[in-house]
Amino acid sequence: MNLYLTLAFRYLGGRKLRTALTTLAIVFGVMVIFGMNTFMPTFIKTFQTQAMAAAAQVDLTITQKTGEAFDPVVLEKIRAVDGIEVATGPLERLINLPADYLDKDPQTPDRITAVMLKGIIPQEARQMIAYNIVEGRFLEEGDTSAAVITRSLAREFGVEVGDTLTLPTAIGLSDLTIVGILPEQILPGNEVVLVPLAEAQRLTNMADKINVVDANLDSMEEARRNEIQQNVLAAIGNTYKIGALEAGSEILTNIRNAQSIFNLMGFLALVMGGFIIFNTFRTIIAERRRDIGMLRALGANRSTIRWLILTEGLLQGIIGTALGLVFGYLFGAFALGLTTPLWQQYLNLNVGNPEISPALVLTSIVLGVGITILSGLIPAQSATRITPLEALRPSMGTVTFKRVAGISFWAGVVLLTVAVGILFTGSISLISLGAMLFVGAIILMAPALVNPIAVLFANLLTLIFARDGTAHLAEGNLSRQPGRATITASTTMIALAVVVMLAAVLSSVALTFIQVMEKSLGSDYLIMPPTLAVWGSNTGAAPQLAEELRQVPGVTLVSTLRFSASQIKEIAVGVLGVDPQSYRQLDLLTFTKGEPEAAYRALENERAMIINGVLAAAAGLQPGDEVELLTPTGKKVYRVVALATDYLNAKTTTAYISQRFIEEDFDRREDVFFQINVAPDADRKAVESAFAAVLKKYPQFKLVNGKEYVEQNARMFDAVFLGMYVMAAFLAIPSLIAMVNTLAIGVIERTREIGMLRAVGAIRRQVRRMILSEALILSAIGTAFGILAGLYMGYMATKAFEAMGYPMDYLFPGSGILTAIAIGLLFGALAAIIPARQATRLDVVEALRYE
Amino acid sequence: MNNPIVSTQALTKVYGQGAAAVRALDGVNLTIQAGEFVAVMGPSGCGKSTLLHLIGGLDRPTSGTVWLDGQDLTRLNDDQVTSIRRKKMGFIFQFFNLIPVLNALENAALPMILDGMRPADARKRAQQWLEQVGLSHRLTHRPSELSGGEQQRVAIARALASDPTLILADEPTGNLDSRASEEIASLLRQISSTWQRTILMVTHDARIAAYADRIVFLKDGKVVDETILEHRNGEQAEMVADKMKEIGD
Repeated sequence: MNLYLTLAFRYLGGRKLRTALTTLAIVFGVMVIFGMNTFMPTFIKTFQTQAMAAAAQVDLTITQKTGEAFDPVVLEKIRAVDGIEVATGPLERLINLPADYLDKDPQTPDRITAVMLKGIIPQEARQMIAYNIVEGRFLEEGDTSAAVITRSLAREFGVEVGDTLTLPTAIGLSDLTIVGILPEQILPGNEVVLVPLAEAQRLTNMADKINVVDANLDSMEEARRNEIQQNVLAAIGNTYKIGALEAGSEILTNIRNAQSIFNLMGFLALVMGGFIIFNTFRTIIAERRRDIGMLRALGANRSTIRWLILTEGLLQGIIGTALGLVFGYLFGAFALGLTTPLWQQYLNLNVGNPEISPALVLTSIVLGVGITILSGLIPAQSATRITPLEALRPSMGTVTFKRVAGISFWAGVVLLTVAVGILFTGSISLISLGAMLFVGAIILMAPALVNPIAVLFANLLTLIFARDGTAHLAEGNLSRQPGRATITASTTMIALAVVVMLAAVLSSVALTFIQVMEKSLGSDYLIMPPTLAVWGSNTGAAPQLAEELRQVPGVTLVSTLRFSASQIKEIAVGVLGVDPQSYRQLDLLTFTKGEPEAAYRALENERAMIINGVLAAAAGLQPGDEVELLTPTGKKVYRVVALATDYLNAKTTTAYISQRFIEEDFDRREDVFFQINVAPDADRKAVESAFAAVLKKYPQFKLVNGKEYVEQNARMFDAVFLGMYVMAAFLAIPSLIAMVNTLAIGVIERTREIGMLRAVGAIRRQVRRMILSEALILSAIGTAFGILAGLYMGYMATKAFEAMGYPMDYLFPGSGILTAIAIGLLFGALAAIIPARQATRLDVVEALRYE
Repeated sequence: MNNPIVSTQALTKVYGQGAAAVRALDGVNLTIQAGEFVAVMGPSGCGKSTLLHLIGGLDRPTSGTVWLDGQDLTRLNDDQVTSIRRKKMGFIFQFFNLIPVLNALENAALPMILDGMRPADARKRAQQWLEQVGLSHRLTHRPSELSGGEQQRVAIARALASDPTLILADEPTGNLDSRASEEIASLLRQISSTWQRTILMVTHDARIAAYADRIVFLKDGKVVDETILEHRNGEQAEMVADKMKEIGD
């Protein structure tokens, strides 16, 4: 084997624990980045496959910008455009199936959780798409309740040609007769049920409506095709777009935000890994000064030494990255498994195995190996400066108390001033800059602060347990290498800052959301569709259902939500139609601006809307503003009357209008969500069984006890927050490794001093206590800085959320600070174990001879 | 003999500056012939290690020149001096300075591998030398598994294996007991007599110095005396010790 590799392997193998701990830092960083990026895209892909209609194999697909249905007259306008060879106008609607609809077994999730109902005119459709019928026949003119389905869907339903397929629809459970089978769908998720257009319109309660136009063009030439597209848009107006139907894009934005947060965490973990490797290599160089000097004496040139060190880094990088990829995959799979019930409950999704793209593998490798090598560069360069004489003429480590309040300190003061200034500006665009400046300021100022803070903590430690002077020795040891102490403390700082920040954000979020949730879901019963928040993909129910529910004895109030997609200034908006009177009675909204009574009154009488904070922030709207809302019949002016939010729609851009206007402007009459109050003395059992009987015809809906649902959600919050805390605590592990390394370097460099201490009478326990004190002071410095940075970042983050429109009250993260202190001190004590053992086991004579 | 391998002229090394300046070497002129075994002796701080470091290209003189095999080391840059160390010099240190993670064979082969020789060839040659110094049974042992004397033999094999022009030994017995010291001294004698290698050894031990061909005495950075030994087998150790006393050990 090549000399570099032999030496690298042997040296790494000689310090197994340290190698393992250092490599762990890389493993962790790569694991988070790789794992989260396998998990999130898998989820997104499933979501897209299911919730978003796949564009057919046609030249042009035209939809309403909001995704709403429109009059077939549009189809005629498109057909009239020169260059359109053929065009057809189907009605496509995703039908979410209730849980366990297929197998009736709650233990195993159904493989298919939604189907795409596509209403077509058979002859026109076959002109556009060559449907391949593998069994039975295609739809024909004159068919009514006939359906053509995929082979895979037929298998899942256990039906054949001639059998009946029952689907939940807006008019209750509906039977379709299967007349033909299409080939197998390769991926589950976008199973199609083809029915005659008129039947689809009946089942979805959308008489005489279509929502897509598919067209083929008569030219293959790019310029001509673009021209035809422009002509089409000119003919039908700017409320339409070229492109397939999309639903739930607001949810996807949220998921992508979550993904970038996790990426940031992974990157932070890798940066900390970089710090650790940097420190470890400095330890290595300190340990091997003699070996390196000897190699130089024997004729190894500087580049040989540099490569020796870098090869070790490279090996660790490769091993750490490889393990990180494996653990990352498992982590992704585990996270998917863990969250599957959540996806099923809220989004009606069955997520498959983690997705791995070559680009992701490559990025993870470049980051993992790259950061390792980068971190090793400076120590490797310093190793090349070791002279051959160091092998021959031993020298004691020079002790210099450098002047540290230099330029970097004052630069830090300037950055800190700017960061604090940003805090007062309240400007969202500067928030992340502020956080970076704050952390940067602390890192720059830290070397100068290490000494005074170390003295302070040493005095504290002396009072508590180290009365024999060992705490002051420890403080001196740290103060003589403020740069090294700073790097180590910085890793602790970053980790604990994340803990404190998360604590601040999560406790603020929890506080606000639980308040909002208790208010908006506070009714006695909820009747929910399979998918919450992505309302557009739900099959609602005609007003008759609400009427039937009102008739149940004991029911005092039924309030329903109707949904339509819309746009304000190109921003996707979910419009919810409410009945102002019953909504006000149930008091479901949490108002942040505007007067509730006046707002509800306005909703009843005029084109008025209450908007949530997210929409207000995204569209820059305030109460009193008038704004155009895109409807299937053109733009309509609405007046903003208040800012308020409910729990289910808090994260998506939402406007609340009255059901009268959602019917008038959006032609929507289906109810997608019901909230019911019953009389206090009502017989709950009788009420529930009456509800069950009514809902039998509408299996897409689920009856839930309001109080239980709120409790269940609160428990889920707790679980998610706990998970986040565990992640943050995980992030602190690299700081433990950094401390072990720094303490170990100290012990190696001071072997002779420790020998001398032992020679003049220091007992083993005192040496151990000195190292422990050093560790505790070091972790205390990191913890103090971490808490400061965390408080700043947490406050800024809640401000950012507030600015984005989420209702948010800042909660001081007392428990987070206590957690950070506990982690800091615990890790400090743990970090001391190995170096302290190393120091106490030194043979006095050997140590005195050590040079 | 009139074939100098090493020649220093007015070699001077000053550490520090101003009032704190210490003149470690002060105008030393020294010539070593090919195949000669020269010991440098003198009291602590006389500059003997400094002399060895300057001749070995490990340190740079303040003034004066060092010629090795026709090349002035003081005019070469770090890479050139490093290359000369690799090809023309073998070092033996007081603390052996073996790489702890490599075994005896790998340690002895190291300079040759650093010089670009194929590892298999380097190991073959290293093995021959380890056998010559009596370590054929310890080839795969790591330094921690060898006695001090054995470790120094590995270091000697390493110094010899690359077939250097000059072997520099810095207190080679300084870390060994008296029996092992005698063994190493006679091995160095053998290297000079049997294998005709040039050796420059720094020592403060008269018994070891008595194995050399010639002893150069240094004091306060200057050459103060020289003795050519007749027996070169340690028998004249007492005479050497007396000489040391004379110059003020």
